[in-house]
Amino acid sequence: MLPELLQGVDAGGLLIIQDSAGCSGRHLLKSFINAALNREEAVHVIGFEVSEEELRDGSQGSPTQRLHFHNAFSDPLGWTDHPAFTVHQFNLEELTHLVKQTSHPKAATTLVIDSLSWILRHVSPSAVCKTLQQLKKGGAVRATIGLLHADMHQRGTVGSICHLATSVITVAPGAKGDEAVAKITKRSKSGKVIQEEEIFNIKEDLTVMVQSKASHTGPKQPGPEEQETDPTANLTFNLRLSDTEREAKEKLALPFVFSKAKKTALLHLGPGSGRILYEPDANDDYDQEDPDDDLDV
Amino acid sequence: MMAAPVESVCKPSAERSPFSATSFQKKSRSKLISIPGTRPSVQNGQLLVSTGVTSLDFLLGGGLAVGTVLLIEEDRYDSYSRMILKYFLAEGVVCRHELFVAAAQDNPDDILQELPAPILDDVAIHKPAEQPRLPCETHDSLDSMMIAWRYQNLPKVQSALASSSRFGHYYDVSKTMEPEIRQAAKCHRFYLPEHPTESSTTRSPVLKSYSALLRSLQEVIHREGFDVAASMSKSRNILRIGLHSLGSALWDDDLSCHDNPTHRHSLTAFLYGLRALLRSSLSVAVVTVPSHLIQDRALMGSITRLCDNAIALESFKGSERETNPLYKDFHGLLHVRQVPHLNCLANQLPDHKDLAFKLKRKQFSIERLHLPPDLSETVSRVSRGELAGGATVASACGSGTSGNKHLDF
Repeated sequence: MLPELLQGVDAGGLLIIQDSAGCSGRHLLKSFINAALNREEAVHVIGFEVSEEELRDGSQGSPTQRLHFHNAFSDPLGWTDHPAFTVHQFNLEELTHLVKQTSHPKAATTLVIDSLSWILRHVSPSAVCKTLQQLKKGGAVRATIGLLHADMHQRGTVGSICHLATSVITVAPGAKGDEAVAKITKRSKSGKVIQEEEIFNIKEDLTVMVQSKASHTGPKQPGPEEQETDPTANLTFNLRLSDTEREAKEKLALPFVFSKAKKTALLHLGPGSGRILYEPDANDDYDQEDPDDDLDV
Repeated sequence: MMAAPVESVCKPSAERSPFSATSFQKKSRSKLISIPGTRPSVQNGQLLVSTGVTSLDFLLGGGLAVGTVLLIEEDRYDSYSRMILKYFLAEGVVCRHELFVAAAQDNPDDILQELPAPILDDVAIHKPAEQPRLPCETHDSLDSMMIAWRYQNLPKVQSALASSSRFGHYYDVSKTMEPEIRQAAKCHRFYLPEHPTESSTTRSPVLKSYSALLRSLQEVIHREGFDVAASMSKSRNILRIGLHSLGSALWDDDLSCHDNPTHRHSLTAFLYGLRALLRSSLSVAVVTVPSHLIQDRALMGSITRLCDNAIALESFKGSERETNPLYKDFHGLLHVRQVPHLNCLANQLPDHKDLAFKLKRKQFSIERLHLPPDLSETVSRVSRGELAGGATVASACGSGTSGNKHLDF
């Protein structure tokens, strides 16, 4: 499913790449930027964590005039007098203004946020969620991709942001060195949820190679049904039935099979058809105790 | 505490619902008013409305009592809780009640457009025959059991829950409700992003978003005459209130974001105010809360206690239970967290605590989770606790404590 997501996040979609200290999601983010550029889309990157040079490092040869990098790396909190982009500018009006300023009105824009974790450290999660929801609904950008470091926040915060997302990709380190495992959850407009797990690695030119679907490591029954052998084989006597024998067997009238009339009569007789009336007289030893009670089990 | 009964003459409803079998009107001396789409409870005489899901009505003791709140703890992707909210609103449209929908994430108009279409000419589904079948019908089926024919008429495990009356309606999930039917019902909307935020200097324990919602509700109830104390000049109706995803970050609440939220008591104060408002009016509320995001279990417990009815949905999608063969027929588990006792000493809890739900096209069915008989050879050798899925059975059997004490003859 990773290639489909790379080909185009649906309009109005929010894609969250969740990573952790064990495996960075920035390479995947760069692949997504690359894929968007190859689709002739305008990409606006708001970079808090890495500088522009480092982000552009991998994408050589791609047309860079459609990639607009907004420098939030040098002064994100507005400590100097002229900050380029601060954390407090992360709201719908400022972002729309930013996108409209530098972008072709007809081109589809993708907004990439590197990273949401940085913003969440300084702005309340509910404000960030609101802005993301407005970006999803509003028409300024076609799709939003955000990088989130899951181990930097409380579970509730990560959960709230992912709850809003249309697709979530969680990257984890894979078995081999350059491989990573991606757990993908995609929500379609109809409410259907698809989940998949894939092993991938990213090549030098930032294309993603999906190796295979990850095998489920859950406990698997070894399939005892396959190991059962046919008990009627390898015997000195015959336990199987031929067709004629089977027919004869089915035709045989069983001893307590009644006619239909008698069956219905018996079935519908209801309660009170046969009761045992027993009155113990003086000679009977009617012991109320259960004789099994003295068994020591 | 129930909604105070109105002292009025019992008025026969002007338009009968299409499902009433006779024209007989019971001459009752009760002070309860008769409103289309409601019926008195057989247990404590409360006025009940249907939630739209007949199995859920059965679990809640016949229906939702007027003046109470149903809390639904959302499943992880908010698919089934949203479905139940839509059933609730659709039932309101079919019974000609008024609706009030509040949401912060999606526009209420979008929610209203997704309501499922009612199946209007469908008769309520009969349960498998518990009464003996007529002889003319049994000719085909008697042959199905050749040897054990005496057990022919005994019911199979009665797993689906339903009450016998035709109080609720059935809906077809694959179709949406016709716009004509939907527009016939009066809907009030509250969409938080479009609601003007007033800046008030008074400090209240409730967040601005919640207090705005409460104020809007109060205004609608008063203006449209849902107060119990309102004049009896016009016919009474029920207001169905659907509140989507309260406590999520989009309501400006950090309950689901932080382990120690700063607005800790905001939602609980809102629920307190909501319940007070409902008790004095002819309305019913269904509230969904994303409880899987709320880390503080004690707070979740307070929220549950402040609502009257509470259920939690746990969907199998995405969890390891999805591949468990035990659960392959169902979409998720349903936990009944709380059932109220209104004007009585004890409440009517469902008999079976292991419930699972399945969303079928024409019905949202809630069934008892029962294990099929285990016919493998190892059953008699292995102690109960070691069987796959044995955890659900062990508590019922009571033999889980000392594992290997089994009889071996």
